[in-house]
Amino acid sequence: MPARVPRVTKTEAVVLKRRRFGDSDRIVTLLTPARGKIEAIAKGALRPRSKLAGHLEPMTHVEIMMAHGRTLGIVTQAQTIEPFAALRDDLERLSAGLYLLELADRFTVEEAEADAAYVLLLTALLRLLRGDGHQLVVRSFELALLEATGFRPEWQRCAACRSEVTPDRLVWSPLAGGLLCERCRESHPESEPIDVSVVKVLRLIQDAPYEEAARVRLNQRVAAGMESVMHDLVRAMAERDLGSARFLAAVRHTRPVDDPAATAPDEPASLDGDVTYTPQEPLGASGQTGS
Amino acid sequence: MNESPHGSSTITRLVESFHRLPGIGPKSAQRLAYHVLRAPEEEARALAEALLDVKQRAVLCGACQQISDTDPCAVCDDTRRDRTVICVVEEPLDLVAIERTNGYHGLYHVLHGAISPADGVGPEDLKISELLTRLRRDDGDDAEAVGEVIVATNPNLEGEATAMYLARLLEPLGVRVTRLARGLPAGADLEYVDNVTLERALAFRQSVE
Repeated sequence: MPARVPRVTKTEAVVLKRRRFGDSDRIVTLLTPARGKIEAIAKGALRPRSKLAGHLEPMTHVEIMMAHGRTLGIVTQAQTIEPFAALRDDLERLSAGLYLLELADRFTVEEAEADAAYVLLLTALLRLLRGDGHQLVVRSFELALLEATGFRPEWQRCAACRSEVTPDRLVWSPLAGGLLCERCRESHPESEPIDVSVVKVLRLIQDAPYEEAARVRLNQRVAAGMESVMHDLVRAMAERDLGSARFLAAVRHTRPVDDPAATAPDEPASLDGDVTYTPQEPLGASGQTGS
Repeated sequence: MNESPHGSSTITRLVESFHRLPGIGPKSAQRLAYHVLRAPEEEARALAEALLDVKQRAVLCGACQQISDTDPCAVCDDTRRDRTVICVVEEPLDLVAIERTNGYHGLYHVLHGAISPADGVGPEDLKISELLTRLRRDDGDDAEAVGEVIVATNPNLEGEATAMYLARLLEPLGVRVTRLARGLPAGADLEYVDNVTLERALAFRQSVE
């Protein structure tokens, strides 16, 4: 006899997004540890006195009770575990958080196992909350999520033929998913040069423990180069533009001029100047305090 | 085979037209179509004229971007309004809600949305550049210059992102940027209130008068 499906289930989830459904309801998209990405109806969530609405905002870690409806689940109770309130009061961290949510949404499919994606998302949001640097948190999440979903980029060898790459003239292709050797680049007209410092840091973030990667200091040029490379890569893998990546860029352009991150001069272009280890001054650190 | 399930292509067309409206399902569309069919001709004519009028006469106010019959709209044209304060709202209906309170006498600016990257809505899709142009035009020493912008976007993730982004753009213009207070809604039950709302309600508590 087949096991009976329980009529009501309890699960933790991170709310990825939500949309209106009729005049008073919302459909929320949740990333759960056991069932992956699911959609559920939050009845009455658009009403001002809704008991659910405040707990089902995107970027909230929540525990929900869900009844199984004919097509969609119905959220019957919701309780916030972590509201990530401090992220909502800081435009840089908020825009980074929105990017993490959109990435998690794009790289998961409904009702398919997504344990790793769930843990990675929650961990990245908690790291943003405690004040870790956006660059480190976001790059680390991108690389780990790509690996968990079968799109691990190749930063050591040629992504096409696995042969050694020439360190003095590195090129890469988002479509190939990493570096390309002299021979393979001919068949990838979209390939373009990539800064050796960018490759070094990407390798480190991809393969070293997070705490070790957090000790690297980056200058603006390398940070911008890494962001550009990863956004191109993610766009190619997701096969679409990510709105939150554009918003991240828009936010950076509005950064006040007295913000040290906006005015920090570029360090010398030598490799040693681009990437340095400073154990006492963790990079990644954004200068913001977590809560 | 009968291609018009209602036995009349005109009724089918009307049903389909109603069905295209948001929140109207197939059954509701049929009920509305048959209601129009049975209603007096004047009622149907008034409905048709109202539909056409709204398309032909409604314009965006060049200043506040509200939907209006005239440009400038009645609010922007009203000399009794306080022209030193602008309340920024997401949607035209938000303006209507604030007007209904009779507690605000300044001007408005309608963004026509909120920043929502997941839905593909970025700052460039909103009426933000129009607001900046308006503030720069008003920038001067005269008493009518805008001194405060109240950001009345919704207290949700998209509204907060929009509010912070606007504040970042407006502060260099020397304008005071304020945000609507957040707290408990009337008739709320503390037991069910989410942590963020309760935290803000405590942070912005007021003396009992």
